[in-house]
Amino acid sequence: MKLTELFDKGEFVITSEVGPVKGCLRSNEGGKLPQCAQEAEMVRGHIHAINVTDNQSAVMRLGSLAASVRLKERGFEPIYQMTCRDRNRIALQSDLLGACSLGIDNVLCLTGDYTSLGDHKSAKSVFDIDSVQLLKIAKGLNEGRDMMGNALTQSTNLALGAVVNPNFEPLDLQLLKMEKKIEAGAEFFQTQAVYDPAVFERMTKKTDKFGVPIQYGIVIVKSPQMGKFMNENVSGVNVPDWIIKEMGSVSKEDRKKKAVEITIRLIREIKPMAQGIHFMPLGWSDIVPDIVKATV
Amino acid sequence: MIGTTPKPFEEISRALENYEKVAVIGCDGCAKVCMTGGSDQVVEMAEKLKEKGKTVLFALSPERTCYVGKTKTALDPHLDKLKSADAVLVLGCGGAVQITRKVIEDYDLTIPVKVGLDSVGHMDTLIMGELAIEQCQECGECILNETGGICPVTKCAKSLLNGPCGGAQDGKCEVDSERYCAWILIYNRMAALGELDKLRRFMAPKDYSKMAKPRRLNIKERRVE
Repeated sequence: MKLTELFDKGEFVITSEVGPVKGCLRSNEGGKLPQCAQEAEMVRGHIHAINVTDNQSAVMRLGSLAASVRLKERGFEPIYQMTCRDRNRIALQSDLLGACSLGIDNVLCLTGDYTSLGDHKSAKSVFDIDSVQLLKIAKGLNEGRDMMGNALTQSTNLALGAVVNPNFEPLDLQLLKMEKKIEAGAEFFQTQAVYDPAVFERMTKKTDKFGVPIQYGIVIVKSPQMGKFMNENVSGVNVPDWIIKEMGSVSKEDRKKKAVEITIRLIREIKPMAQGIHFMPLGWSDIVPDIVKATV
Repeated sequence: MIGTTPKPFEEISRALENYEKVAVIGCDGCAKVCMTGGSDQVVEMAEKLKEKGKTVLFALSPERTCYVGKTKTALDPHLDKLKSADAVLVLGCGGAVQITRKVIEDYDLTIPVKVGLDSVGHMDTLIMGELAIEQCQECGECILNETGGICPVTKCAKSLLNGPCGGAQDGKCEVDSERYCAWILIYNRMAALGELDKLRRFMAPKDYSKMAKPRRLNIKERRVE
């Protein structure tokens, strides 16, 4: 099912992210589910779709497409994330055809974290095309032609998603790119993690007129250390002091409870400005259902 | 210029370990500016090799070692000595090494040519003797007219053509917090020029066939073949 169908119906769309395992999924290891499937099971019934990351942070793992297909087989609706870092325009188009052929309905087109941030720092970065161009190319495939104008025997039929970072300064530059993404073919957006409702509002005041649905993105802050780490090492994200303090004010055992509480608070404030939520739980998928129950 | 850095001397020693009589050839063009292969550095290298027990037949630096004519002119007076060389060490860019090899082959000599530097790209000198930066990839399809004279192909780590990724923090690049995000620089420049609207235009994927290696420049006809 395409996410755009839900947005069109006025649904408040909930998605959650899983990162594929660093390994393959050939044997089922005595019935034990791989981590990404376990996390998907934790949110089953509480979300509309699951984002499957593409070698996130430039760390080599199972590919997003393979993991997306496996999740689809288990009854989940995957959003296949595709970055421009590792494949040229031939491979990207080919994988989009492959994704559609394998039953994928949703793709999220991103630039991708830079190679040197990951675990194969000496790899050659590709970045043959950028995310705006990828969206335009994917739209073309939906319309039955490749980027060179050659006809396809069968068109793709993919809902095209994109990302925007409301924290970006200057915001107008980020929104200029967002508008280009919309013109290129983006049908829905997920945001980078935002922890300040005022930051989200600053964006939506300018983006409401764009007429595309935007899901509020949130990375669950699991500890005060993680909050500080994100501020120091994850560009484009600002975890405010109050979250770091509150996460530090409780014992380790109570952190999940605290994270639920903080996330609920943020979502309640931001929800009226968004058309959905995108969770990035980074291993804490088990708390997503409680947050969804309390907020949606 | 072509930027160069010296290889570790141990690596150079290993490359020359089976050769006794060596000629050292630098370059008084780019390598001189980089202080890696100019007339001073070839003399220093000759001394180091002598300390290692090598016989240095001659050490010189042509005006531009990447020009066949200039390299040949510099080597012609030393041809007799060159004939007895077991190896030639070039302190120049990869182009200088290959031009030197060609000149030596044109003398009908078969002498191993070794490199003492690593080439690190097209560099523009900001502070003489101190700092040069990379600003151009020689992509064959210059877009500086559209981007306020700042090249995103080179100065954006991801070579993005349609605006920034979401990773900049405090105006700096996610890849290197010391470096400004190229797209923020472009945005500010276009704003100052009153041309922000030009950034709204979709930039099509680059034609990388124009970078397909190895390119040939037909200088007479002023075109790449």
